[in-house]
Amino acid sequence: MQSETPIFAMILKRLLRLALGDKGYDLPFGSDADRNFLLLLVALMSFLAVLACAGTLSLRAMTERWSTGLENKITIEIRTQSPEGEILSPDSIKLETEKVAGVLDKNPAIQNFRVMDEHEIKRLVAPWIGEDFSFEDIPMPGLIAVELKTASPEALDSLTAIVTGASPAARVDTHREWLQDILRFVKTLQGVALMVALIVAVTTITAISSGVRARMAIYRNQVEILHLIGATDSYIARQFQWHAIIIALLGSLIGTLAGVAVTGLIIVLSGQGSVTLIPEISMSAVNLAAFLSLPLLACVISGTTARFTVLRTLSQMP
Amino acid sequence: MIRFDKVGFRYESGPDILSGIDVHIRAGSYHFLTGPSGSGKTSLLSLMYLGHRPTRGNLHMFDHNVGLLPRERLFEIRQRIGIVFQDFRLLEHMSAFDNVALPLRILNRPEKEIRNNVAELLDWVGLGDSKDKLPPTLSGGQQQRIAIARAVIARPKLLLADEPTGNLDDTIGFRLMNLFEQLNRMGTTIVIATHNTHIMEKFGHPRLILAGGKLTLETPTEAPLTGQLKHAV
Repeated sequence: MQSETPIFAMILKRLLRLALGDKGYDLPFGSDADRNFLLLLVALMSFLAVLACAGTLSLRAMTERWSTGLENKITIEIRTQSPEGEILSPDSIKLETEKVAGVLDKNPAIQNFRVMDEHEIKRLVAPWIGEDFSFEDIPMPGLIAVELKTASPEALDSLTAIVTGASPAARVDTHREWLQDILRFVKTLQGVALMVALIVAVTTITAISSGVRARMAIYRNQVEILHLIGATDSYIARQFQWHAIIIALLGSLIGTLAGVAVTGLIIVLSGQGSVTLIPEISMSAVNLAAFLSLPLLACVISGTTARFTVLRTLSQMP
Repeated sequence: MIRFDKVGFRYESGPDILSGIDVHIRAGSYHFLTGPSGSGKTSLLSLMYLGHRPTRGNLHMFDHNVGLLPRERLFEIRQRIGIVFQDFRLLEHMSAFDNVALPLRILNRPEKEIRNNVAELLDWVGLGDSKDKLPPTLSGGQQQRIAIARAVIARPKLLLADEPTGNLDDTIGFRLMNLFEQLNRMGTTIVIATHNTHIMEKFGHPRLILAGGKLTLETPTEAPLTGQLKHAV
């Protein structure tokens, strides 16, 4: 570890000299104890941002999978009760189901459809009412799984009209209602993630800005000397700006790597479970790029904040 | 070069430090600025290096009215001025070399040129061996020489110095005064605030005498006179 520090410091110094045109700092930032606090803060903020980002990406993957999987699929149910309240016999239900299947067969908007048989229906309802039941005891509805070519609202409306025309006991279930509930919930979660990202950004901006102001007070004498011997505001601002950028780069790299590691751990752990409702968070190249762009964003936010703060403070000097 | 036109100055709501200063310091001239302690010499110099702006009257420098010039453009004037502060005001975390190099770096001069010029000047002021030392490890006299080297390194058009020989023995003091003479011969306008009558007598330049907030001019061969300076050295 000890042999790594000088190399790391050297690379940083190089970066810095490159950025400042082989000049280094004119202000004594090296002896700055406040730097570690900012470094830790930026690291924590980046860590939080990665988790928020991972959450959002996973939610997006989840909604996409559900929406694309379900939007073309509908279920037609032949209810056990007619609209007039009359209980239908299993035979009549079968008849009504066949009637509906007949109209579906001729409909060009249908990709394919499948009338579910008793076993299938039994398997579907088994988790709720158990496997030991007979169709004679409980009236069971008829179910037809339909896949549409396109799921436009007009196509759905015309299909509903046709199906209910063929059998008044038929009801078209587009899955939309419960899907919409879930989508609404997901949107709320995404809003929360966005809010976390905003809080992270605002906290970073506030911390950098107050850190820069404190430093300007500490180094007021030095800043004044630079100012009086002809340094432009921009020259002085650059010193603080690069200092902030280096801190942001270091802090956010640490935070981002920790965040990616924790996300990776969650992926591994969730892969071991059997909860199929939660889609796997995949670490695709795009997602990884999104995570790795965080340090860049942190540098931009920190550099801009520092520059703006210094220029504003300098404008109060003669 | 510098024209004071009924200039007055005070710190915020304090009493007037300077009032009715009316003087023209021509390009290429050399003046001593003298007067009792607390007479406002440092404040007058501070107006000239734009550490403050006049609270009354007009101050013209390098053909600009500094009261009207936007602050974003004041650096253009500051970059043409070399200052030796009474308390040196060196950057203590920086080596002697880097302190002297600072004005050139601010002017974005090539690093090679900076290295050569700074090394040469440090040798000349007798600090070639101390170039890597930090100011706090050097004596008062050595720090003062660094401050002077920093003030002259960028060949300023105007050199302002506040007691530049205060901490120096006579040999080094005269040597640096000779440097100022050379710079003046090359066209640099010089104003040196000093108490040192010995130096003022030896070099014989006109004296700006500040007392009670008012400025008068005294030339070594003539009787004191007030008002605009017609004398250019």
